[in-house]
Amino acid sequence: MTNKGAIVTPIADDPSFSNAPVATESLPDIWSLETSPVSPRYRWLNLATVAGVFVLLLTLISIFRFQPWIAVPADMQAAYPRICLGLSVIAIVWFGYHVFADLCVRYALREQDIVLHKGLIFKSISCQPILRVQHIELKRGPLERLAGLARLQVYSAGGAGHTFEIPGLPVTRAQQLRQFILNHKELDAK
Amino acid sequence: MQEPAVALDTGKHWRRLSPVAMLYFIASGLKTLVQNGLYAIPALAIGSQTSNITAASWFIPALWGIAVVMLGSAVLNYFFYHFRVRENHVEIRSGMFSRRHINLPFWRIQNVKVERPFYYRFTRFAVVILDTAGSAKEEANLVAVTHEYAQTLRTQILASRSEYLNQQQNPDAESQTNPDTSSTHTNEQIINTRSVKDLVIHGITNNRVWILLGALAPFFDEMASAVNGYLSQYGLQLEQLAGSQAIAWWQWGLYLTTVTLIIMTIMGLLSIGGALLTYYGYTLSKDKDRYIRRSGLLTQQEVSMRESRIQLVSIKQDWLDKLLKRANVFFEQNKSGQQRDQELMAANKLVVPSVTTAQADELAGHAFSHCTPSNQPYKRLPLFYMLHHALVRLLPLSILLMVLAYTLQQVLGVTLVVIGFVLAVVNLALRYWRWGHTTDSQYLYVRSGCIGIDYRTCPLHKVQQVKYLQSVMMRRRKVASVKVVLASGSLTIPFMAEADAKTLINTLLFETESTRRSWM
Repeated sequence: MTNKGAIVTPIADDPSFSNAPVATESLPDIWSLETSPVSPRYRWLNLATVAGVFVLLLTLISIFRFQPWIAVPADMQAAYPRICLGLSVIAIVWFGYHVFADLCVRYALREQDIVLHKGLIFKSISCQPILRVQHIELKRGPLERLAGLARLQVYSAGGAGHTFEIPGLPVTRAQQLRQFILNHKELDAK
Repeated sequence: MQEPAVALDTGKHWRRLSPVAMLYFIASGLKTLVQNGLYAIPALAIGSQTSNITAASWFIPALWGIAVVMLGSAVLNYFFYHFRVRENHVEIRSGMFSRRHINLPFWRIQNVKVERPFYYRFTRFAVVILDTAGSAKEEANLVAVTHEYAQTLRTQILASRSEYLNQQQNPDAESQTNPDTSSTHTNEQIINTRSVKDLVIHGITNNRVWILLGALAPFFDEMASAVNGYLSQYGLQLEQLAGSQAIAWWQWGLYLTTVTLIIMTIMGLLSIGGALLTYYGYTLSKDKDRYIRRSGLLTQQEVSMRESRIQLVSIKQDWLDKLLKRANVFFEQNKSGQQRDQELMAANKLVVPSVTTAQADELAGHAFSHCTPSNQPYKRLPLFYMLHHALVRLLPLSILLMVLAYTLQQVLGVTLVVIGFVLAVVNLALRYWRWGHTTDSQYLYVRSGCIGIDYRTCPLHKVQQVKYLQSVMMRRRKVASVKVVLASGSLTIPFMAEADAKTLINTLLFETESTRRSWM
């Protein structure tokens, strides 16, 4: 970072304020952080969902194809194997993606912020300062409840599109994280 | 302390508005009718052509009926609307079927807008729009209060808001802020005014046609048929022209250029009209810690914004602006309520239209002290940005299209693809040329654009969230994108050198977390 000359501080009469240049090497680094994985059940849940959706779709199509009540048009009969093949390819790719990508979801907690790693090919590392948190939510869908998982959603003033979400946390861990954030003295209450 | 001109507190008794408010209710009724009825207009138009609705015996009574219903609802709205202001709270009870009771403490009100719609122009009344941080639904309007009362209310609300914020930040400083907030007299300082000439330039460089087009939308069909009728008077039949073989191509070209020129001139004039309509008599002034913009030819608008709430200053220059050495300056604050308004109407942006480039820098420096966006040692993106987009994203697609066109034996297609590719690469090169980023000890500066230039500046400590984005390929090349989320929206710098990206993120986080300064 370049520090261009002397800069007058905007809050000149605040004795606690200083604006000395900071050496970039001495900054806290979010790349040298030890991260922890989310629950392994998160991956199992996703894989089971993919498999479930695939089996359900295949069953529905097969029932329609082989049911004796309505005459299925010939071209649709001919398309049946191709549809099945296409579905299987999509399911396999989707399944394979979750096998690898879900392992990449990792998070870390620091004194002042939460860090989330995500993505298989397009990796993203997000960091949410706790100082800027507006409110927190724990979300649990029916399947997540079944698996004992929860999603932690952290909202900042950046808007709904930038909600910081850690998926696949064990419920107790999610509650601990929420409590940590709520107890944080810097929480932005306004 | 100077005694305010009008008493602010209305006491514990509920007050009714001035009867002028009925004008407002009628106008807003009309507005919703038009908004909801817009879809019905084509149907009605077709209906009137095929079945002569206008001649039907019930047509005139139906119109009367609608008018009576609207008038009645305005009267009812008026009678059901009560408000009181006391002990630093604004309370409003309104609505007939769905009763609404709003209680707004002054300190929760983020923004106060005082508007004088054109039908209030010759009265002493104004509408006060109170904006809260919460959802759009929580917004409250004081429909008709005297202009002086509106001003006093606004001063008081903003003062107690800043007092509240100061207390939040440092509870000991109460004694310091009190003398400030109790003085209700204003010492506004005018920072910028825009002359008619500036607004004409603004109209030319920025397409403000939609302001008028939006109002004209219901009449497009009739206008088209009127134009057609006018032309046929002079023996020109558009349908015949288009299909005719008798006219040489150059004649066609001539017609086309003439028509295009005429349309562009009309559009330009309309745009200037739109600019004058919204920005006539533009003044930007500063009163203690907030900026106030006033403008408008028919409906006078007044928007104020606290200086500390500005998240981002952007200076935008498109190619025409660049030629005329002008720029638009935007002060952007947080997007409360999430409504997506046009940039002019958006409550979260304060626009200074078509200032000179020197003034633009001055304004940026005014909002963020010691910030000079146009005079920074900007750092270029790595060349990989251009190569990647040209070779990995554009080239394969172009080749694919070219092969496709070739196999279909479309010579024209091949040429078009080649031209498209060249244009895209030129565009890419220009973008690469413009992209730049730098930080000093207080601000992040981003420069971008293609033919025009945008400068965006935000204080390092106002960051809400940061994101580091990198694909496997980018990782190999040691580049990464950084997304900075601010309360006013996000800002992405693509394909930075990896080391720069990491330093930027660490610096942003450090500045935010160590200074603990509020973003509001």
